[in-house]
Amino acid sequence: MDRTEKHFSNALLLPLHLILSSVCTCTCTLLLLLTLTCTATTHADTDALLLTFKSALNNPNSNVTLSDWSTSTSVCTWHGVTCPENEERVTSLNLSSSGLTGIISPIIGDLLSLEILDLSSNSLSGPIPRELGMLTNLKVLLLYSNSLSGLIPPELGHLQNLYTLRIGDNMLYGEIPPTLGNCTSLETLGLAYCRLNGTIPPQLGNLRQLKLLTLQNNSLSGPIPDQLAQCTRIQVISLNDNMLEGEIPSFIGEFSALKTLNLANNYLKGEIPADIGNVRSLNHLYLFGNRLTGNIPYELNQLSQLQILDASSNNLSGPMNISPDHLISLEFLVISSNFLQGEIPKDFCSRNSSLRNLFLAGNQLTGTINGLLSCTSLQSLDLSNNSLTGSIPHAIDQLTELVNLALHNNSLTGPIPHQIGNLTNLEILSLYHNHLTDSIPVEIGKLKRLALLFLYENQMSGTIPEELTNCTSLQEVDFFGNHFSGTIPDQIGNLKNLIVLQLRENDLSGPIPPSLGYCNSLQQLALADNSLTGSLPDTFGFLTELNLITLYNNSLAGDLPRSLLGLKNLSIINFSHNKFSGTVEPLTGSDLLTVFDLTNNSFSGQIPLELFKSRNLTRIRLGHNQLTGPIPSQVGLLHQLVSLDLSDNDLTGEMPLSLSNCKGLTHLLLNGNRLSGYIPSWVFRDLVSLGELDLSSNNFSGDIPKEIGNCSALIKLSLYNNKLTGPIPVEIRKLTLLNVLNLQKNKLSGPVPPEIQQCKKLYELRLSENLLTGPIPSELSSLTELQVILDLSYNDLSGQIPDTLGNLLKLERLNLSFNQLQGALPDSLVRLTSLHRLNLSSNLLQGEIPLALSSFPQNSFSGNNLCGVPMGPCSDPPVSKGKHLSKAEVEGIIVAIVLVSAIVCVALMYIMARIWSNWREVSVSTSDCEESNSKRWVGNGDKIQASKYRKLGPTSTRVGSSEEKHSWGSDTSVLRMKNDAAC
Amino acid sequence: MASSSLLISLASCLLFLAVSPALASNSEGEALCAFKSRLSDPNNVLQSWDQSLVNPCTWFHVTCDSQNRVIRLDLGNSNITGTLGPELGRLQHLQYLELYRNSFMGKIPEELGNLKNLVSMDLYENQLEGEIPKSLSKLKSLRFMRLNNNKLTGSIPRELVTLSNLKVLDFSNNDLCGTIPVDGPFSTFPPESFENNKRLNGPELLGLASYDFGC
Repeated sequence: MDRTEKHFSNALLLPLHLILSSVCTCTCTLLLLLTLTCTATTHADTDALLLTFKSALNNPNSNVTLSDWSTSTSVCTWHGVTCPENEERVTSLNLSSSGLTGIISPIIGDLLSLEILDLSSNSLSGPIPRELGMLTNLKVLLLYSNSLSGLIPPELGHLQNLYTLRIGDNMLYGEIPPTLGNCTSLETLGLAYCRLNGTIPPQLGNLRQLKLLTLQNNSLSGPIPDQLAQCTRIQVISLNDNMLEGEIPSFIGEFSALKTLNLANNYLKGEIPADIGNVRSLNHLYLFGNRLTGNIPYELNQLSQLQILDASSNNLSGPMNISPDHLISLEFLVISSNFLQGEIPKDFCSRNSSLRNLFLAGNQLTGTINGLLSCTSLQSLDLSNNSLTGSIPHAIDQLTELVNLALHNNSLTGPIPHQIGNLTNLEILSLYHNHLTDSIPVEIGKLKRLALLFLYENQMSGTIPEELTNCTSLQEVDFFGNHFSGTIPDQIGNLKNLIVLQLRENDLSGPIPPSLGYCNSLQQLALADNSLTGSLPDTFGFLTELNLITLYNNSLAGDLPRSLLGLKNLSIINFSHNKFSGTVEPLTGSDLLTVFDLTNNSFSGQIPLELFKSRNLTRIRLGHNQLTGPIPSQVGLLHQLVSLDLSDNDLTGEMPLSLSNCKGLTHLLLNGNRLSGYIPSWVFRDLVSLGELDLSSNNFSGDIPKEIGNCSALIKLSLYNNKLTGPIPVEIRKLTLLNVLNLQKNKLSGPVPPEIQQCKKLYELRLSENLLTGPIPSELSSLTELQVILDLSYNDLSGQIPDTLGNLLKLERLNLSFNQLQGALPDSLVRLTSLHRLNLSSNLLQGEIPLALSSFPQNSFSGNNLCGVPMGPCSDPPVSKGKHLSKAEVEGIIVAIVLVSAIVCVALMYIMARIWSNWREVSVSTSDCEESNSKRWVGNGDKIQASKYRKLGPTSTRVGSSEEKHSWGSDTSVLRMKNDAAC
Repeated sequence: MASSSLLISLASCLLFLAVSPALASNSEGEALCAFKSRLSDPNNVLQSWDQSLVNPCTWFHVTCDSQNRVIRLDLGNSNITGTLGPELGRLQHLQYLELYRNSFMGKIPEELGNLKNLVSMDLYENQLEGEIPKSLSKLKSLRFMRLNNNKLTGSIPRELVTLSNLKVLDFSNNDLCGTIPVDGPFSTFPPESFENNKRLNGPELLGLASYDFGC
């Protein structure tokens, strides 16, 4: 027994670096190997009984361990069987780790002399036989690490002499039987890693001898019962990874022998009881993953034996109360992911602090990190995701043991001190997303063990020091989003272990050094968004591990080296926006490609068929190059293809039928080529996921297929600049998600289909430069989201401009020029307040231009019979009358103006007084106030425009004849004069 | 024992997990993804917003200029619920913010004032509340500002009179208070732009009453 205990406590003291082993192995290391003595049995039929037990196992005769179990020898000599000296009474059966399968025979309950039964670490299945409850001499029962299922038999409660019961790591379910509380000799109760549910029975409080209670990794719920307070000899409590609720009981403070308390990953709430500070024996305290709130009790600082404290992932708040100054044994302090506030205390550690790991990431800590410089034993320091400020202190090199340093996602400023080079044990240095400035100190080259260097998203500058290439252990380097300039170090090829090199979004220039090709562990290389020049070095052919290469937005040029054909693992290639030329073939060596983006280069030649070996390609983007030849029919093999952009090349031929296999296509951009033939109807029948289809600027002819209505996911459709004929199909009405429709510059005939009104999300509609006839359908007024442009110019549209067009309140550009439109401009056009470009020229329009449109230039209206500003004056009588006012009339008007001005002033004063006395009752929206309101506006403001908008808005619908319009126009000008006079 | 092994592996994972996102992606795409994460999108209009792409220019409802900078965001009438976040202010080149006719809630983030190229801010017919941020007066390119049919409160910030390009403004059907400015572009807006704000008290009378009178 003593030996058992010793094993357990040894396990608890295991050095940290050993504890990474898996749960099962760990359990196995705790296997009890018990020394047993042999005596003769008194039961003549014991052998028959054990053979029955054996026969319940699967393949009993093939098991090597049980091969000597036969009637020819004395049962006490059988493997695993122990009898007391000179007795034939079996007291112990130990078949641990014997490869047993099958079930435990209930006959075992007849072995009444049995004191120790160990069947642990086998593959036994079926239930735990309740007959075990008859073995009242049993002291040790070990069935852990099998595949036993069913309930824990309540009969085990009869085992009054049992001091060790370990049946965990099985598939047992149901509740813990309260009868276990009758096993009053129990010192060890292990039920972990099962599927037990229900609450912890309060009867367990009767187990006054209990030293070790492990119930972790079950589905236990409810509170931790108060009755456990009676288990005063307890040394280990492991209740972690259950669903326990309620608060942490404060009686734990009375467990004077407690060494390990593990309550992690439950639903515990409330504060950490300060009484835990009384448990001076405590070594390990795990509270992470609960819902604990409040401050960390200062009393925890009394735990002088404490080695590990993990309270991470709770809702703890307040200051950082824990002081390693007092916790002299503390090695591991983890309070990450809480809401701790305030600064890290000065001189956080004492001189002899044993704190090796400090994790305070994901809190709200402020201030500098200087207080930690006293923690000279630190090996891992994670303060990431806080609000720390100040610079990285020069004295950081006091932390000579430091291996991992994570300070990312803070607000640190200033340079990286050159003393960082003295931290020669450093393996991880993560400083990303701060405000660090200046250049990388050359001393970084002394960090021979550095594996990971993340400086991204800072404001660092200067050149990348050549000395960095001395850090030959480097595996991941990420400098994204800084201002590093100059060239990539020539000797970068020294970094043979480099797996990730990310230099995107800097100001690097010059050529890519050929030595980079010798970093042959490299898997991800991102040099995009810099100013790199020159061509790709031949040596890149050695980067055979490479799966991602992004070079976009540089000025790289020249042909691609043939050696790239050797890069068989490439999955993502993005060379877009460079000046590469020649054939793209060298990039097609891999058949694992998923993304292939060479947009905007000067690649020429045909699209290589080798590209289509990569059947998992989702994106091919070759737009803006000089590719020639046809679209290969092999494209139809790419069933995963989502985006195909071959726009602005010199491709010829027809759209290959096989493309209809690419049913997942959402983007198909073939515009700006010399493709010809009909637009096949299968495009719209089979590619129903299309959101964007651009076939513009090709030589497509024939009708627009009626099947177009099937592509109801289309958001942008452009067939601009082809030779399409026939009508605009009415099925267009089914494209209800369409934002942009561009059919400009074709030979489409027939009417503008009124059904287009169903495309309610259109913000851009261009049907110009076709042969469309008939009137502009008044239904277009339903397209109230039209914003960018409505362009119907250069057609043969006739009739009047529909009055309803004035509903397009968001429209910014309207072009109806070069049609046969006739009649007067509808008054409603003045409601187009968003309009800033208007072209109605070269139609048969006549009459007067509404004043609200007079701010548009002459060429908006030229080529019509329109008059009024900005065109010539209308010849209507009111105008000529106005020209020939008699002197008397002029004087009369002036008198009237003076009079009206005076009245207006008086009225204004009256209104002011009224408003002043009764503010809340004046409302803008009531129509009877409109007159006075608008007058005030004109009076205060500058101007003409004011009256224009005010007057034209609401009243325009009332205006009927052009005569009325005119008189009303002069009325506004009089009003203007009046106010000028008044002010 | 088992439990301690669990802890240590967990803790060391924490360090490495937190450090792992190498190959960070572009900022506009990130901003849009951050925005997406606030939204409930039952019609899946944001399905194509894949952050693993180099830039958001091939995402639907996002339009870029020739330099791959986001200039339009078109999510009008898309049955979206959620809030607007400060990240939208990072779309430095945005010209059109079309989020009308959805169920956007919460405040208009003051960071929208950073969209110095914005031409059109269409947030009408949502459920936005709080005040109209003063910072919107920084939108010197703004021509169209439609915030009508929301639940906006407070007074109309006087700073908006400096928006000299503003051509169309609609604040109607909110719960604004105080008086209506009369200077700058406000001299041109019709009364309809302000109607149905029960506590809005008409054009301001310079010097006679404070602009937030009655708020």
